[in-house]
Amino acid sequence: MRVDADKIREWVEYFREAREIRRRYANWDFIRSQPLNVRIALEYYIETGDFRTAARIAGMGVDEFVDMAKDLAGIPSVG
Amino acid sequence: MVNAIADTSFLIDWIRYSKSKLIFKLFNVIYIPENVLNEIKSERALIWVSEGLEEGGLAIFPELPEISREALDLVVRSRRVPVRPVDYPEAFCLVVGRRLNFTVLTENGGAIALKNYDPEYFGVEVLRGIDIIYRLWRLNHLNSFKDELELYQRETKHIYSRKDLVKYSDYLK
Repeated sequence: MRVDADKIREWVEYFREAREIRRRYANWDFIRSQPLNVRIALEYYIETGDFRTAARIAGMGVDEFVDMAKDLAGIPSVG
Repeated sequence: MVNAIADTSFLIDWIRYSKSKLIFKLFNVIYIPENVLNEIKSERALIWVSEGLEEGGLAIFPELPEISREALDLVVRSRRVPVRPVDYPEAFCLVVGRRLNFTVLTENGGAIALKNYDPEYFGVEVLRGIDIIYRLWRLNHLNSFKDELELYQRETKHIYSRKDLVKYSDYLK
């Protein structure tokens, strides 16, 4: 597959901006109060946006994890 | 009307929107792959999907081996590029979109990026919540694009980035 390097740079910046938004909105008090696996899952989700792996780390269903991240941990989905 | 196929990231956000059922005005049938259905566990999502199946707006898309193989290849390929890769469920939807000319509904950044950088997928129509709201507004199912997008972002707790909003800047003033 031939990939346009300029496009890739644009997407790298796009995902960086999304990460900054998740960090800014996150309820860090809630996150720090969670059991270890849930805390690590939420932090992983903030850094990567990868809700599927984060849900596995937390031991939750994918939609249950995203709902918890949005409604309790304050982390929006971005992008 | 065309058919669409929706992935988990789209469904999780879209069903939180109070006017979510309007989407059925845009598509003949919205397919949900078996692998996406398996990821849905919350009461809200299960009720939305089961009602859609009852009313005929939704249908289940089976796990076809040929599409599965191609989706797995796409997952591997996307990991060679230094941006967020696609996971199997999103790859499955993209392959169905390309092969059957279905619109792909997703909010997954990896899938949206891949459609933009992978020449094989340039032709696939990929829509997000913001695009659906825009189309509903253009067809007079919604009164205001700007107000509705604000409502959508508030209800779904989904934030669109500057890059996403630029495309619609003329309609958001």
